[in-house]
Amino acid sequence: MPGSPMFHPVDLIRFLPEIILTAMGTLIMVLDPLIHRRESKFYGTLSLATLVAAIGAAIYAYSHPGQAFGGMLIVDGFATFFRVLVLGVGILTVLPSFSFLKRQQAETSEFHALLLFSIAGQCIMAAANDLIIIFIGLEISSIASYILAGYLRDDKRANEAALKYFLLGSFATGFFLYGVALIYGITGSINLSVVRAAIAGPSVALSVMVGVAAALMFVGLAFKVSASPFQIWAPDVYQGAPTPISAFLSAGPKAAAFAIFLRIFMTAFEPIGQAWAPLVWASALLSMTIGNFAALRQTNVKRMLAYSSIAHAGYVMVALATASDAGIAAVMFYLAAYACMNVGAFAVVSHLSGKDERYQSVEDFAGLAQKQPFVAGMLTIFLLSLIGVPLTGGFFGKFYIFKAALESNLVWLTVLGLLNSAVAAYYYLRVLVMMYFRETGEAASNAEPLTPAFSAALILPALGTLFLGIFPGWVLGFAGRAASLVK
Amino acid sequence: MQLWLIPALPLAGFLINGLFGRRFSKGLVNTFAIGSVVLAFVWVLKTLFGLGGLPGTYTEHYFTWIQSGALTVNCDFSVDRLTAVMLLVVTGIGSLIHIYAIGYMAHEGGYYRFFAFLNLFMFFMLTLVLAANYLVLFVGWEGVGLCSYLLIGFYFDKKFATDAGNKAFIVNRIGDFGFSLAMFLIFRQFGTLDFAHVFAQAPVAPVALLTLVGILLMVGACGKSAQIPLYVWLPDAMAGPTPVSALIHAATMVTAGVYMTARSWVIYTHAPIAMDVIAYIGIATAFVAATIGLAQNDIKKVFAYSTVSQLGYMFVGVGCGAFSAGIYHLMTHAFFKALLFLGAGAVIHSLSGEQDMRQMGGLRSKIPWTFGVMLCASLAIAGFPLTSGYFSKDAILLAANHRAPWIYWVGVFTAGMTAFYVFRAFFMTFTGKYRGKEHPHESPPVMLVPLVILAALSIVGGALFKVPDFLRTVFPAAEVPEEFGPMAVASAAGLLGIGLAWLLYVYRPGIPDSIASGAKGLYTLVYNKYFVDEIYDAAVVKPLVGGSRLVLWKGIDAGLIDGIVNGIGARAKNIGDVLRLPQSGNTRSYATWVALGGVLVIFLMAALGGLR
Amino acid sequence: MNLLLLVLLLPAAGFLIALAVPRSSPASSRYWALGISLVTFVASVALLGWFDRSLGGDQFTVDWQWIASPEIRFHIAADGVSLWLVLLSTFLTPICVLISWNHIQSRVKEFFAFLLLLEFGLVGVFLAQDLFLFYVFWEVSLVPMYFLIGIWGHERRIYAAVKFFLYTMAGSVLMLAAIIYIYTRAGTFGYAAILDQLSSGRLVFTPFEQMLLFLAFFVAFAIKVPLFPLHTWLPDAHVEAPVAGSVMLASVMLKMGTFGILHYALPLFPAAARRCAPWIAVLAIVGVIYGALVAMVQPNMKKLVAYSSVSHLGFVVLGIFSFTQLGLDGAVYQMLNHGISTGALFVLVGLMYERRHSLAIEDYGGVATAAPWLSTAFLITTLASIGLPLLNNFVGEFLVLQGAALANFRWVVWAALGVILSACYMLWLYQRVFYGELKEEVRSHMTDLKLREWAVVIPLIAMMVWMGVYSKSFLAPVGKTTARVLAQTQVHIPERVEFGSPARTEVSRAR
Repeated sequence: MPGSPMFHPVDLIRFLPEIILTAMGTLIMVLDPLIHRRESKFYGTLSLATLVAAIGAAIYAYSHPGQAFGGMLIVDGFATFFRVLVLGVGILTVLPSFSFLKRQQAETSEFHALLLFSIAGQCIMAAANDLIIIFIGLEISSIASYILAGYLRDDKRANEAALKYFLLGSFATGFFLYGVALIYGITGSINLSVVRAAIAGPSVALSVMVGVAAALMFVGLAFKVSASPFQIWAPDVYQGAPTPISAFLSAGPKAAAFAIFLRIFMTAFEPIGQAWAPLVWASALLSMTIGNFAALRQTNVKRMLAYSSIAHAGYVMVALATASDAGIAAVMFYLAAYACMNVGAFAVVSHLSGKDERYQSVEDFAGLAQKQPFVAGMLTIFLLSLIGVPLTGGFFGKFYIFKAALESNLVWLTVLGLLNSAVAAYYYLRVLVMMYFRETGEAASNAEPLTPAFSAALILPALGTLFLGIFPGWVLGFAGRAASLVK
Repeated sequence: MQLWLIPALPLAGFLINGLFGRRFSKGLVNTFAIGSVVLAFVWVLKTLFGLGGLPGTYTEHYFTWIQSGALTVNCDFSVDRLTAVMLLVVTGIGSLIHIYAIGYMAHEGGYYRFFAFLNLFMFFMLTLVLAANYLVLFVGWEGVGLCSYLLIGFYFDKKFATDAGNKAFIVNRIGDFGFSLAMFLIFRQFGTLDFAHVFAQAPVAPVALLTLVGILLMVGACGKSAQIPLYVWLPDAMAGPTPVSALIHAATMVTAGVYMTARSWVIYTHAPIAMDVIAYIGIATAFVAATIGLAQNDIKKVFAYSTVSQLGYMFVGVGCGAFSAGIYHLMTHAFFKALLFLGAGAVIHSLSGEQDMRQMGGLRSKIPWTFGVMLCASLAIAGFPLTSGYFSKDAILLAANHRAPWIYWVGVFTAGMTAFYVFRAFFMTFTGKYRGKEHPHESPPVMLVPLVILAALSIVGGALFKVPDFLRTVFPAAEVPEEFGPMAVASAAGLLGIGLAWLLYVYRPGIPDSIASGAKGLYTLVYNKYFVDEIYDAAVVKPLVGGSRLVLWKGIDAGLIDGIVNGIGARAKNIGDVLRLPQSGNTRSYATWVALGGVLVIFLMAALGGLR
Repeated sequence: MNLLLLVLLLPAAGFLIALAVPRSSPASSRYWALGISLVTFVASVALLGWFDRSLGGDQFTVDWQWIASPEIRFHIAADGVSLWLVLLSTFLTPICVLISWNHIQSRVKEFFAFLLLLEFGLVGVFLAQDLFLFYVFWEVSLVPMYFLIGIWGHERRIYAAVKFFLYTMAGSVLMLAAIIYIYTRAGTFGYAAILDQLSSGRLVFTPFEQMLLFLAFFVAFAIKVPLFPLHTWLPDAHVEAPVAGSVMLASVMLKMGTFGILHYALPLFPAAARRCAPWIAVLAIVGVIYGALVAMVQPNMKKLVAYSSVSHLGFVVLGIFSFTQLGLDGAVYQMLNHGISTGALFVLVGLMYERRHSLAIEDYGGVATAAPWLSTAFLITTLASIGLPLLNNFVGEFLVLQGAALANFRWVVWAALGVILSACYMLWLYQRVFYGELKEEVRSHMTDLKLREWAVVIPLIAMMVWMGVYSKSFLAPVGKTTARVLAQTQVHIPERVEFGSPARTEVSRAR
């Protein structure tokens, strides 16, 4: 039930992470003209501190769970999980960006400010409890990321990517907004719990309209998570955008989008689950298949990872299709694991691709293992995790997803999904083949030395991947407890 | 009684010479090699005396070799009178041939290796005859095959030698295929492989089974004892050094099949059909091999085919229920055939390697001792009255006559042929005038002494050791009356053969060529051993190899299966290509896709939502 | 400290430390790998001392919770079969270290690290008592082998490595699906618990379910075995792998498949196994003959041995699906035999490759003159692998065939042909490589065994003789365990079959 519109001071605590992020983001913007320290790592360090603080705040906020601002926000385990996740992704984006920005002589404050805003938007999405707030969060996150995608002004690929992302993104958001409007029209509320109650009611006449509304939102969200049939933008954007941003896009916004996906469909539309579940089923299968099979033919690593991220969205959709708490927990775990391994992989790509990202093809990984065994080793961990080899987070992620699927008797989806993951092994292996089985190539020999920050950017996700792979119980336990959303 | 010592001694000899022989002097090698075998012979005598008259079977248990489920195979040795005969023949003849080999191999390379293998052979052969169950027997059975393989290919840098070795081993494997199937059936039926238990239960077992087992065992025997259709390896086996031909491919190993079938007499006596099969195979082999022997010019080849033929006789004996006669002939054959080979070896040795009889002749004066012993051996094999061959061969022929006269008559005719080709060889070698270039020299005493001993045995051995009487406690008495007529006819055939040989090769040497040219087709057919090797090669070997290469490997493996596997990969990539088609890079078309997707989804949901 | 745990963890620790060894000194990597693998071997031999042979069941159990929900336990234990397979792995690892001593010159550190990781995975596969844990080890063992082939292999190593990985992966994902499905039904991954539920009837699969699950497991295992026609990854992997890789692959990794069939596929899905038995037996027999025939015509020594493995493993599968005590014992024994003798073959081929730098048969000839002891060792190994009595393979093949004969005599008539053919291809190989005129290029390269190589060859040959002469010391513990498996398959085939009596021509008709 909606909380009272009256304002409580505790609401500020529940909203603390977003406050910190926006405040610091603005501060960075403001500081820039005052102090001219373009070349330095100053802003990066600052935003790192901000993100760490925000994580602390998110955790602190969880000590005061409950709804805020009259039910517009809700701080529960689910929200906290995703807040920490997107903030973590933020850290993993900032760390490698040091060397990247230096390489591109683009150490500006905007980069970090935009990043913080985008993350703020995602935190709002994670904690939002009514459709308007969700939409606001979505927009904050998206607009910031549109700009980030085109961050390198004089890079044509980046600009094209940004433009596509923006046009199509807003197009999809439009669908979502229609959905919201329709729901408001039907139920007279934007609060998820109320909406749910209304839908659960016996007003059969409305059901088709409800279906349409759900469909419209599905379109918007499926687009954001790059699930079929709305994955079409992902390859171009991920390939065009600066690699650290591609990493960010593939993890942060996607995770947040899945968060609201779950919130909306598992809370508001849960009563008509049997109606949308088949749709998710189909979308899951389509995403996995398109992603994996198309990736087989990619020679550009970023594009390959883009397709792979479509496939992974498909796996997550499998869990969604179960429409069960186990499924939700699986989604949460998987997104955590996926964030680690994918951001890590992209970090290596950005490291190797060099100035203006000359080296992006699979061939360019030739002999990396001889030149920089550490980097190669880290990437090996990420790739094995993406393949789904045991003792990595990726494996347990898949395992929990398909376990949930079988518990909901989605036998065929499971079998097809697992076969898909066998196909996927092939294109990840190609990178391993290059790194270990081939003689050192140009890119590897030109690879620049490791900076501490960048090493951290590899070690952290690697540790995360292994931790989730060897001791998954802790995270999964939390996800399991958080999975029972407010109905 | 420490039976295990009997095979253990040669084994020790093998290990010592095999591991350290290369550093030993020839004398030291001899000490271990010959010493071990002679000791084994002595130990056999001691054992047999120790066991007295051997009324029954004496068994020793050592350890359990294989134990699984209901199957228990013990490493047991046992001795009865049949074993006793075999033990004496193997160790006795074995010792003599070992001694002879000292002289014969004196100038050969790999001296220690030769004697090591020879000792190893003794070990396996003795294991074979001492075995108390089929599987231990099979150990010896395979083992002697291995040694035969090693010794045939002793000159391993010569391709024909190693080819012959492989041929011997593989053909024997085909025989063993039958043998092992027989063992599986036996265990399947009786739940054991011990001779004692199997033979105890056999009389009540279904005849069909016993017949099948009997025939399968005979398949094994055909391989080991070179019977039709598996005899082809033995002639080639002559590629090995002559002592090997004498010991392994004449006196002992090749008779293992006869021993094994005789050992299984209980099974055969309850499976008449199987016995008939043995008899028919035996007589057919005896006849065919003899005909081939008529036309060979390589002295060892002649005796090789003669061995095949004589083994045929032994199987006739077994097949006609005269098991003791078979063993009897086994023993006498060991005497005179070993002697024939060793004598031939002496001849070859004296001509430093020449084996073609057309390059010999008139050697009587040059190597008188060899001439003398060869005469004894030839008389014995020809069945000259009162020689050893006479007794044993007649025992078999009588039994054959009793069972089926036609077998008897074929046997008699074959006896005639045998006498003919043996003496043909004898005359071509020793009479006439010398046709070769080498300068013949008599062999050293170390070779001659064994020859003389064997000569004596070939003459009097048959009369001295009346094996049938000795084995009366082992086998059912083959109730064959001593009829004078058939015996006379048989010996007459032998004498006739000798006379004919004298006529053609001493009195009128021109005739054979005219006969050969007269019956050209027949001659070439026989001379080329009926082209059996060629037929096998064309019918079995070539198709198998070619088929495996072209059809199985290139066709199925690389072509079909891997084609499918790699094909799946290729298809997957094609699918990928198709799925990438929408990625035109054109924003407007992307928007269209999104819009279309949206419409689709809305339509579906509207429908599904309506279903509620 | 549980000894079994020690045996499992030593290689893992060895792997981690090997990673820390400085790349600059390859020698220290070698010595470390040798040391740790020897210690592991000693520990596993000690295991033998404590093992109670009178029990068929699990021993040295370690059972810790790994993950709370869904409950996954780190549960390892050894029974009469896995014990030997563990020993086989720990026995061969030091041997692989020794033969790689000079053979491996590039990226030495990584090589030995991967070798130890491989040992860890393999030992784990045989010890896991929790389906999930089993799958983890199953996959983990895949990775190091992939790198061993891909990095240190020959010309077409990449194709071989990827083919190997994908073949196995394709099989094992289905097995994963089956494992998860079982969990959703049984609520546990504990192997013993699942068996208990099955036997007590608390967990019942419909025949259809059982068949699908059986096939999911069986295909994964059959690919590893490899069972005809899923074998084509093997020749490539064997030929391209470095010597140590080939040895571990042939001797131990293939046994993962047969072990899996014996330890999981049969007890979990007896009915389905019974129904499929006739078909699988036929495939096994086809494999026996087909493998031998194809081996006969191989121009490459390693490829020949690889196809001979297909043939040998056919016997193992046949033995298992004869559902007789003899057949199962023989199958297990044959696993060990093949591990020893084929391992030895690859070792010796490797030694020759180190000298002559060629695997092509026609590049050899007359080796017996140049290197008599090497030739002797190869001859003994050859004789072992063609099943000569008093050497190890004979016992196994005899038991397998005798067991199959009890189940269905017609099988044996065909399978026994494999024994003839094995003689054909091995002796022909031996003749072409070791006999004949000594070629000059062979003379110049072929040196006889060195001390380090003696240290590799002698233990192998000693094992061949021991296992061939005194099988009792190995079969005793095996029998208890196989008997238990047989009981779980619920097939009864009498130890004696009256001739003419309708002795099952098909196992599926049992009871």
